[in-house]
Amino acid sequence: MHTLLTLGELLLFPGLAYLVTVALLLAWVDRKALAVLQGRVGPPIYQPLADLLKLLGKEDLDTEGSDARLAALLPMISLACALTAGLMTPVGNHAVISFEGDLMVTLFLLSVPTLGLFLAGWIVPSVYNMLGGNRSLLQYFCYEVPLLLGLAGPAALARTWRLAALMSAQSAYHWHVLAMPVGFAVATLGLIGKLERVPLDTPHAKAEIGAGPLTEYSGRKLALWRLTAWVQTLVGINLMVAVYLGGADVVWPYWGFGVYAVKVVGYMGGLALVQALYARLRVDQVAEMSWRLLVPLGLLQLAVTVWMGA
Amino acid sequence: MSRVTVPIGPQHPLLKEPIALRLDVVGERVVAAEIEIGYVHRGLERLLQGRTFQQGVAVVERICGICSHAHTTAYCQAVEALIDVDLPPRAAAIRTLLCELERLHSHLLWLGVLSEAIGFTTVFMYAWRDREQVLDAMELISGGRIAHGANVVGGVREDVSPAQAREVLTMLRQLETQLGLYQELVERDRSFHRRTRGIAVLSAAQVQAYGVVGPMARASGATLDIRRSAPYAAYGWLEVPAAVTNEGDVWARAWTRVQELQHSIDLCRTLLSALPAGPLARRVAERVQAGEAVSRVEAPRGELFYYVRSEGERTAARVKARTPTLPALLAMAELLPGLQTGDIAAVVAGCDLCMACADR
Repeated sequence: MHTLLTLGELLLFPGLAYLVTVALLLAWVDRKALAVLQGRVGPPIYQPLADLLKLLGKEDLDTEGSDARLAALLPMISLACALTAGLMTPVGNHAVISFEGDLMVTLFLLSVPTLGLFLAGWIVPSVYNMLGGNRSLLQYFCYEVPLLLGLAGPAALARTWRLAALMSAQSAYHWHVLAMPVGFAVATLGLIGKLERVPLDTPHAKAEIGAGPLTEYSGRKLALWRLTAWVQTLVGINLMVAVYLGGADVVWPYWGFGVYAVKVVGYMGGLALVQALYARLRVDQVAEMSWRLLVPLGLLQLAVTVWMGA
Repeated sequence: MSRVTVPIGPQHPLLKEPIALRLDVVGERVVAAEIEIGYVHRGLERLLQGRTFQQGVAVVERICGICSHAHTTAYCQAVEALIDVDLPPRAAAIRTLLCELERLHSHLLWLGVLSEAIGFTTVFMYAWRDREQVLDAMELISGGRIAHGANVVGGVREDVSPAQAREVLTMLRQLETQLGLYQELVERDRSFHRRTRGIAVLSAAQVQAYGVVGPMARASGATLDIRRSAPYAAYGWLEVPAAVTNEGDVWARAWTRVQELQHSIDLCRTLLSALPAGPLARRVAERVQAGEAVSRVEAPRGELFYYVRSEGERTAARVKARTPTLPALLAMAELLPGLQTGDIAAVVAGCDLCMACADR
């Protein structure tokens, strides 16, 4: 019985089926919100699913000169890591896996797709893939530190690296974003870099290097990479909602889930707004912003938090 | 770091028309650039040689999908100079009106392309949405969004009724409100400045050396504008302001064009409020006396030059166009080396290349 329950959690809710469904819905929210902001109609709600299914059915080409097995393996590993990270971030007020330090493990698991993307670009003998992969890795060194600093503030305040504990530390609406707005902004920009969204989307800047590391990919492999990106978006937002926005807020399960869902959709809308408002930064501008602005601000926030908390 | 060759084109998301750029890149910096053109050569100038002068209008209209009216205007002017016919005032005004509407939609198109190149998709969507209004207005007048078929040798074919004039004026008013947004974008938006300021500076000396024309030259301090220096059609009665700045970078090219959007709106208003009465076209003979003529117009991208030679037949002996994209291409080849790869898109889009014009 217990095994069945665990299996259900892993495969249905809040595991694979749930994560994929919500990731697709969230992708639609993203595209629809951006469309509305830009004065367009935007796609129907089933569009991300339709895109995914269509890609899955397309011919899957292997580029000559690349390692076919590795090319097939990388998106699977990346997707698996993103989904595993999804099991650790609270959905509503429940996470399948929860232990002291799960925040760090989640962050680590979320970095794997980036490294996978870099390798996926590197193994294909095409300049767009290579440049895109390089940029992916370069950007990784730019956003990872701010993201970590941004998430370390609440952890230092609540004296825990456990997401469930971080959430309960914000009970009675003592949201961390209110206490640490700078840390929230730094972490959000870090997340935008991680998700490779405008203004930090140099790794796949269409006008410069086509689809970047994924230029030569098609069919199932491309579909899996897409899905990885969408799941990553969901997990990243879950993380921010849990760490900064109070998570589910209330203990009663159904209401809690509703509150959490509203926050996730709201945060996604915020990311779409940022995308609508800014032009893409250049690679050197990303590095400059990250190390000259975000890292000092993140350190400052952390220092203030530690000093206040001591 | 190793040197790699990044091919951009002939097919690439950055390009709206085929052209091949081969960029040698070390790390993120371009060290050498090579440009190859000719992918959309259709032999249109040769095609003109077998056609009557009046049929030629339809051919030159198809040289370019953006500045089609500028091409027919320049061509008709050259032929009209050959047969020595004077344009009726109403025809001149309508020709000019369409020229300015064309400049409006061409500049809006350019703003969209540049914005998309720097990842600013919102501006791209807005600019192209507003451009549709201008195309609708041109369709209202001429019946065509892209190929208007409005010019004929000796005048124009399409009249502008008072009701149409009112509708176009309403469109212009709506466009002007939107224009405030673009002015603010160019003047103040930091996100836009970060990607356009100080990039690919073209000096006044380079403008001279390559013969760069149009908004690109005016962004580098040259006051060159055929509408002002050699007025044609109805420009003689109008006051065309100059939009000149000295920065010479991608930003300056955007600034110049946004200023010109406002100027074009004003010019259209002036023309629509006082359209002269009279015939739309003069009747001209099919056979054109022997001789040669040139004509120049200020197309949206700059000076467009036409040469027409007749040997006394009903068909043209030679028609030659020199389009503004050619010098822009030459200048661009010099601007590319030294750039960061991230700036290539902004520079190539900023040069406002029209390959269909250049290749013909």
